[in-house]
Amino acid sequence: MSSAPIAPPVSANKALRRLFLTLFLRGRSVRGLQKSRLPSSLPKKLALTLLFYALFGGIAASTGNQPTIVTALFLHTMTLLFLAMFIAASSGEILFNREEADILLSRPISPRSLLWAKIAVLLQVALWIAFSFNLVGFFTGTLGTFGSWRFIPVHAASLLLESLFTAAAVVLLYHLCLLWFGRERLDNIMTTAQVLVIVVTIAASQAAPMATVYFAKSGGDLARSWWLVLIPPAWFAGFDDALAGSGAITSFMLAGAGVVVTAILAWAAFDNLAATYTSSLQQIVESSSSSRTRPARASGDSRRWLERAVERAPLRWYLPDPMTRRGFLLCTAYLLRDRDTKLRVYPSIAPMLIIPFFMLLNLRGGGAPTGDAFPLIFGASYLALSPTLALFTLQYSQQFQACDIFRLAPITGPGFLCAGARRAVLLLIAFPTVLIFAIAAYAIRHNPTELLLLLPGVLALPLFAILPQIGGHAIPLSRPVDAAKSTSRGLMIFGFLLISLALSGLGWLAYTFHLLLPALILEAIFVFTTTTLLARHLARSPWPETD
Amino acid sequence: MIQVDRLTKIFGAQTAVDNLCFSIPAGQIVGFLGPNGAGKSTTLKMLAGMLEPTSGSATLCGFDIRAQPLEVKRRIGFVPESAAVFESLTGLEYLELIAALYAIPADAARKRIEQFIAFFDLSFLTLTEKLLGAYSKGMRRKVAITSALLHNPPVVFFDEPLDGLDANAAVGFKALIQTLAHEGKTILYSSHILDVVERVCHRVLIIDKGKLLLDGKPDELVAQHDAGTLERLFTQLTGGAELEQRAAAFAKTFLP
Repeated sequence: MSSAPIAPPVSANKALRRLFLTLFLRGRSVRGLQKSRLPSSLPKKLALTLLFYALFGGIAASTGNQPTIVTALFLHTMTLLFLAMFIAASSGEILFNREEADILLSRPISPRSLLWAKIAVLLQVALWIAFSFNLVGFFTGTLGTFGSWRFIPVHAASLLLESLFTAAAVVLLYHLCLLWFGRERLDNIMTTAQVLVIVVTIAASQAAPMATVYFAKSGGDLARSWWLVLIPPAWFAGFDDALAGSGAITSFMLAGAGVVVTAILAWAAFDNLAATYTSSLQQIVESSSSSRTRPARASGDSRRWLERAVERAPLRWYLPDPMTRRGFLLCTAYLLRDRDTKLRVYPSIAPMLIIPFFMLLNLRGGGAPTGDAFPLIFGASYLALSPTLALFTLQYSQQFQACDIFRLAPITGPGFLCAGARRAVLLLIAFPTVLIFAIAAYAIRHNPTELLLLLPGVLALPLFAILPQIGGHAIPLSRPVDAAKSTSRGLMIFGFLLISLALSGLGWLAYTFHLLLPALILEAIFVFTTTTLLARHLARSPWPETD
Repeated sequence: MIQVDRLTKIFGAQTAVDNLCFSIPAGQIVGFLGPNGAGKSTTLKMLAGMLEPTSGSATLCGFDIRAQPLEVKRRIGFVPESAAVFESLTGLEYLELIAALYAIPADAARKRIEQFIAFFDLSFLTLTEKLLGAYSKGMRRKVAITSALLHNPPVVFFDEPLDGLDANAAVGFKALIQTLAHEGKTILYSSHILDVVERVCHRVLIIDKGKLLLDGKPDELVAQHDAGTLERLFTQLTGGAELEQRAAAFAKTFLP
């Protein structure tokens, strides 16, 4: 019957580690895949991911010839952010999985074995990422002031320490959240944490090179400021500097803080909480067992506030059509509640939202309108394209098959759903971001007339929001997640850059020649007419063919 | 083999299992019946060590479920209602993992897996090449049943085991559990398919709102209550007696 080789006996611990590594690499749900397609694609995918980290880590080359503490601070800050991003994204699924509780909780496994097997896998992958990202950094560190070959083993040790610290901190945080807030809230907390970490990582990837230059200009003195003890990456950078750099007392203190805090966190997360791990998993089983019998939760009522709000002014004016209101509520629910949607939409638009703010930071404060106010007009035009990307991303959902219910209903086409999605994305993402951008611009420039420069972008918002839906595309929640292509997204963002450059260029010309007001009126007429015509066309369009 | 004494589980303000008491000797197949939300799955999960009881106690094969959970888990097999499996493993990888968790030597595990494959008419190629995520519901259920019996436990809990199985597999499964009981295994069988329970089980426990309503042999209980069938007895006990009238009244609301 079988010709497959017989595997040697494996211990339960080893079997568990192998299981969690396999689950991590393959993903937890791979319906329809053949095993034969996995071995070739998985190592390739993993190798490509690690290569990406290694290439991205190449920017460490720019920190060469700096004091060790400066180079190490840059490397450890970026490493910590990448590790936090990975561990925050993976821990929830690895540590507290409902289906897994059904499979493994009735087996004779101690809670400690189960937790440690998971942590071993988390750490293993975290180390792959950390070492890939630091590949160039290892050598850059040997070239700086105080640099020597000793930087390589010392930095390897500090990376190990940093990985342990990050894993312990995230595991402890999630575990405590589960114990204190319960499974349902943990899901929300984990999603928010993941989105925040991704956004912070993107912001930090912009800020870290600027900070490195800032530190370098100070000759490394700033890197010895007392407040660095409050920043975890500085502890590990201090470790590098103490043992393979200047050997300053402050660096030894930072290193000591890193070792002590990591030891305490690791003990609390991996040892102390291991005993209660089973009860945490039981809580997960409990939440699924009790969900059918529990009375309606108070939070269910609080979730209906939006449903009530859309029936009243001013949201009722914004959503006059009842069908559009339903589409709006559906998309809003997914944008606010669905973990998968939130993890796809917000991180994908985060760079678009953050970059204009960094451009603002580069502006000089105060003064009359000059050429350096161009980032205002460009920033607003770029922000105006965020709904376009959000709507492109919102079309993918794990529950795409549920969208068939609209096709079965006696409705002409997806017009109402698309209109609801546009309004949801504009209200939840675009309007608040532009408003914050305007406030930030005013705070930096103190020049209210310059805020007119935001209008070319603001006026274009409705048009940019409807563009992705032309031709039956970007119907919200209608396509499988697998269909999302990250390569096309890169091209799209490049296209957005060109569009916003063109729009802001035209606006800037009009502003320079004191023709901004007539140009804005023309733009408003063009956007209103085009958007109205396109919206009418969309409302009459039938459902596109399914694949 | 199984002793349950005043077992209680409370979720918030809801008592899911309320002072449940029963005992089951070796070699008996016991049907565990109740309407949705009666507390069947919660009871099974407590006995399987997946949920901590709020109060009360239970022993399986002489081991206390609270004090010696690992000893209990070594001696039970559990097929949960969800029949959850790790979808990104192949069937064989999954079963070999389960074998390792019970410290079954690899060659013995492989031999046992092959016996199950033959019994359930599974293809070995499917088991080695296809990931569980690509299996049909019935095939996944067969793998879940195999994983519960792989280590030859003296006590087995089945929660809706026939869900997804085709007619032939269901017939084979019923014959299997009868033989297992004949050889001394204790089986607690939770299901909504009452005619199967009536035919297969030596005894039934009917619970509702977490409380034990009836305990006895199916034919004797039916005769005692003059119900005709177990299904009728069940509906009488659990408030479903007027269901037919309600269905007729509701159907009338569809008329123009």
